[in-house]
Amino acid sequence: MNSGPLLFLGLFVAMACSWLSFVLGPQLQIGDMRPTTNMMVGASGQIYPNPEPGAAHQGAEIYRADGCVSCHTEQVRPRDLGSDINRGWGLRRSTGYDYLFAQPVLLGSQRVGPDLANAGRRMDAAAVLLRLYEPRALTPGSIMPPHPFLFDKRKIQGVRSADALQLPAPFAPPPGYEVVPCPEARALAAYVTSLHQDGYLFEAPPPPQPAGKTNAPAKVPTNSPVK
Amino acid sequence: MSVTASPAQTAPCPPPQSATIQIDASCRLPLLGLFGGAVLWLFLGTLFALIASLKFHDPRFLANEPYWTYGRIHAAHRTALLYGFGVPAALGVGLWLLCRLGRALLAGPGVVLIGAIFWNTAVTIGLIGILCGDSTGFESFQMPGYVSAILFVSYLLIALCGLLTFHRRAEAPLYSSQWFVLGSFFWFSWIFSTASMLLLCRPVRGVMQSSIAWWYAHNFSSIFLGFAGLASIFYFIPKLLARPLHSHYLAALAFWTLALFGSWGGIPGGAPLPSWIISMGVVGAVLTAVPVLAVAVNFYQTVRHDLEALDADLTLRFTYVALVFWLIAGAQQIVGVLPNVSALTDYTWFPVAHWELFHYGFFALAMFGAMYYVVPRLLNGDDPPAWSAALVKAHFWPTFFGILISYIALLVGGVGQGFLLSDPKYSFAQVTRGTLMALRAGTLGDLCLVVGTIFFLLNFALLLSRHCRRCWTETRKERA
Amino acid sequence: MSQNDTKKPANHDNSEPGAGFATVPIWLIMVFGGLFYWSQLYLSDHAGGFDKQVYAPFDSLEEVVRMNPKSAGDEFRIMGQDIFNKTCTACHQPTGLGKEGTAPPLVGSEWVLAPEPDRIARIVLNGLTGPITVKGKDWNLTMVPWKDIYNDKQLAAVLTYIRSTWGNNAPPVKPEQVAAARKDIHPGPMTFPELQQIPVQ
Repeated sequence: MNSGPLLFLGLFVAMACSWLSFVLGPQLQIGDMRPTTNMMVGASGQIYPNPEPGAAHQGAEIYRADGCVSCHTEQVRPRDLGSDINRGWGLRRSTGYDYLFAQPVLLGSQRVGPDLANAGRRMDAAAVLLRLYEPRALTPGSIMPPHPFLFDKRKIQGVRSADALQLPAPFAPPPGYEVVPCPEARALAAYVTSLHQDGYLFEAPPPPQPAGKTNAPAKVPTNSPVK
Repeated sequence: MSVTASPAQTAPCPPPQSATIQIDASCRLPLLGLFGGAVLWLFLGTLFALIASLKFHDPRFLANEPYWTYGRIHAAHRTALLYGFGVPAALGVGLWLLCRLGRALLAGPGVVLIGAIFWNTAVTIGLIGILCGDSTGFESFQMPGYVSAILFVSYLLIALCGLLTFHRRAEAPLYSSQWFVLGSFFWFSWIFSTASMLLLCRPVRGVMQSSIAWWYAHNFSSIFLGFAGLASIFYFIPKLLARPLHSHYLAALAFWTLALFGSWGGIPGGAPLPSWIISMGVVGAVLTAVPVLAVAVNFYQTVRHDLEALDADLTLRFTYVALVFWLIAGAQQIVGVLPNVSALTDYTWFPVAHWELFHYGFFALAMFGAMYYVVPRLLNGDDPPAWSAALVKAHFWPTFFGILISYIALLVGGVGQGFLLSDPKYSFAQVTRGTLMALRAGTLGDLCLVVGTIFFLLNFALLLSRHCRRCWTETRKERA
Repeated sequence: MSQNDTKKPANHDNSEPGAGFATVPIWLIMVFGGLFYWSQLYLSDHAGGFDKQVYAPFDSLEEVVRMNPKSAGDEFRIMGQDIFNKTCTACHQPTGLGKEGTAPPLVGSEWVLAPEPDRIARIVLNGLTGPITVKGKDWNLTMVPWKDIYNDKQLAAVLTYIRSTWGNNAPPVKPEQVAAARKDIHPGPMTFPELQQIPVQ
């Protein structure tokens, strides 16, 4: 193997195989994916997915900028390849359709914190904001870093703000002060609460129902409203 | 040293000493620039890693400003290590190997130096961008798009000089290190341009981004950095033991199978991609057992009659430890990709342990071994200055123990975390509590790495200052 | 040169390494061959025919088709499952067991299992408030109405789903039955005494 051009040719072929397998091949197959209409999603004819509202899109930028992807994934694994579904992180595995409107796609590769693919189903904006300001207020012993720079600790002007955080005692601001989310925090909360992967798809159908025995009462109890 | 090569080996006729001195002298300024910058970035990278890992024990540490939040510091740590240290070190060692093995002077040393300056400038801008919130979100590819072009052009300048040096070689038969160096130079240009185009310039749609990002990260580490480290190992172990490499054919087998199969993979088992893509990755990773075995057999046969000599030489010690760590990391990767194992260990600290072992344990140590040999000869081929032995020990032992502690802690912690996660009755908070011990050990490992790197920096500075002082006294003597 | 420094480098600067020509051991070739064979088997089993619609854990497009609901009845039930998962699990829980202070259970509930669905149709259409007994236990909560959110087909699908899951085994609900309940206009949520007036046999 002493010829430069032959070496280059070999390297080119090796690289081309890898590139075809992981870049061009998938791009030809799924690069042009579009939202699907699937009768299992909610009502028939509904398309999936739908684009996020504007605030959520801004929040995705904050999510990317603050490196949330270093600790959180946004992908649910199938039932046989992990306990994601059993943990309540999703009702079905994630598929390519779930990320069609995400830019950038922040799937993540490490779970220092829980998966967020369906965080919008588990948390409302108030819970997200509280967790961003001081995670240990909700989960003692959490190693998630607090993000006080997304909030404003300020003197209460007259009446307490409607969206001031309700912080438990050790983390509450001194009397006369309140903690109010900045627009960035609100956008990030809008993003996290927009995360949900609904509806069974052709690629991710519901699990088969076991043929079960009935548990209908054999005898109608006397104080039951059913006659 | 006999002049006629024996039929059993292909050692070329040794060139006159002055030729190697000239070759090393031609590399002086550009390689010092590459290596000097690399070592400074390494220090910064390990420091960022320490800060990031301290945050696990006190999440409020440096949390008040967005610049130092964990997500940004972690991205900065990886970037400083891979692009500040990794690429320049790989390029520097690669260029020197091409010069020495081809018996040619470095082509365009001024161009290489300019490339190095632009590369470091771009990495600096990119890192500041990351800390200011412009990170891309793709692991191992975090620098914002506005530095991609400068990075690519400066890389090309350096790589093309290497190609020209190779083209001008006086020595026709190729040694395995040259294949590895050329492979690594070629690989980075393709994967970096693909990733920049398809992730930043004109982003592809949906999960294709993740497929490409994972492919890029895997190829960057396994092939680009892997080939660079292997080139150094394949060169220094036979050379410093004054024995030929056991088998040219085994080296060729390792090279081609690693290029072909080692480049498939990097995609976690449960990823939201059609199953064929993931299966191709599994197959590629399992087939890397062939190059791992080929390298293991080749070097075992090369060194087994000379095991005591491995510890005697400074460069050899770093290099053979790097080799052993490469073999272990390769084995872990194969095991970790099997579906039953990956269901347990994906997204835990287990793959992070592999990352640490590969990048610090294998690549950094191989680069250290090479730098310990090359830098004195760059400064003065005739009478190379010597490193301070105490500082070398102070570099090796903390680094070695730091890697070992980090690796074992994260490996065991990752597997434990996987078991806890696989049982839904453990809440996530309980899973986190279970990993704290491993994280403490990991922080200790990170601290050891910082300490070791500081001593290396000091030794480097001491060597430079000794050389400069000697030059100055000699110039004064000449004038007198 | 102080004693502290490393040894002077040995004079092997002018020799570059060479390689011997030992042959590749035959066992390594066999390992390569074996692994290659294994990889082909693995790909034929787990690559889903290189089809873009086959995601793990399925191994072929036929399997995906098989796992998808077949009959209209299946699709209907799945639609109901989907709506239940999206809307009802927040209070009635994915297990259907309900939660203290939030919602009563649906599993084995005599309300859900009643032969005719007229009572539960009215509950999901109009909501429910005030004291009610479910499975011998007293509850006093409020359920919001869904008549303006979901149509008859969707509500019939949800009711069919809860009547055929977790061991419940009551007859499916037709959209016409929900439509009839909807015609029985009732402003405000239902109450226990009002529900008792509605026949379910």
